[in-house]
Amino acid sequence: MMEFTILFLAVAVVMVAAWWGTRTLALALFAATLLASIAIYLHHASNVLTLSF
Amino acid sequence: MTRSLAITLNALGLYAIALILLVAFGAQLILHELPCPLCLLQRIQFAMLAVGPILNVRFGPRPSHYAVSLLTAAAGAAFAARQILLHVMPGDLGYGSALLGYHYYTWAFIGFAVAVVALAAMLLFDAQFKEDDKAQPVGGFARAAVWLVLALTALNVISTLLECGFGACPDNPVTYELLKRAP
Repeated sequence: MMEFTILFLAVAVVMVAAWWGTRTLALALFAATLLASIAIYLHHASNVLTLSF
Repeated sequence: MTRSLAITLNALGLYAIALILLVAFGAQLILHELPCPLCLLQRIQFAMLAVGPILNVRFGPRPSHYAVSLLTAAAGAAFAARQILLHVMPGDLGYGSALLGYHYYTWAFIGFAVAVVALAAMLLFDAQFKEDDKAQPVGGFARAAVWLVLALTALNVISTLLECGFGACPDNPVTYELLKRAP
């Protein structure tokens, strides 16, 4: 899986693109990374909550 | 607000993000508290908050750059709110230790909320967007801020790989998967 390692790597790539690449590329990579992080959050949020009641 | 003042404030924002990432590392390394998956997701959002200020420093302030950080802060606040709600019931001691009375995910929610307010406040100053679109030379203060945040994000890549290994990250990690000794 490694989804969190890949997400951190993706954020680093977005930063590199923002600093050295074009603005369009950085914004496109940012959008993809944000959507990926939301998708991973929703995947984890679909787990059964282990609340204390 | 002039363009150069806005860029300086964006650089200060990058130092603030670096400080948050450093404190998170401090808790991980000094207290030996490994971040859970939801904690990692919040840490990722803090790193992503830096993309907007980096774009502002490089290309000059634009509303779309602030929007990048606003979207990230909204997502981060939602992730932190879920973790708060997971431990909201009386008797639940929460995940990890508390810092000044609040758990890290509560501090994360406060941090993202503060970021939303700060970004909205920055957007109030139209004058920063009116100057010419030519790229300005980036000063050492802002350049160092970008490198610091980038270095801390790269360290998080390594740290997360060591913690989670090549599989799914455990819900309650207590050891670094890649540093486990073979039996």
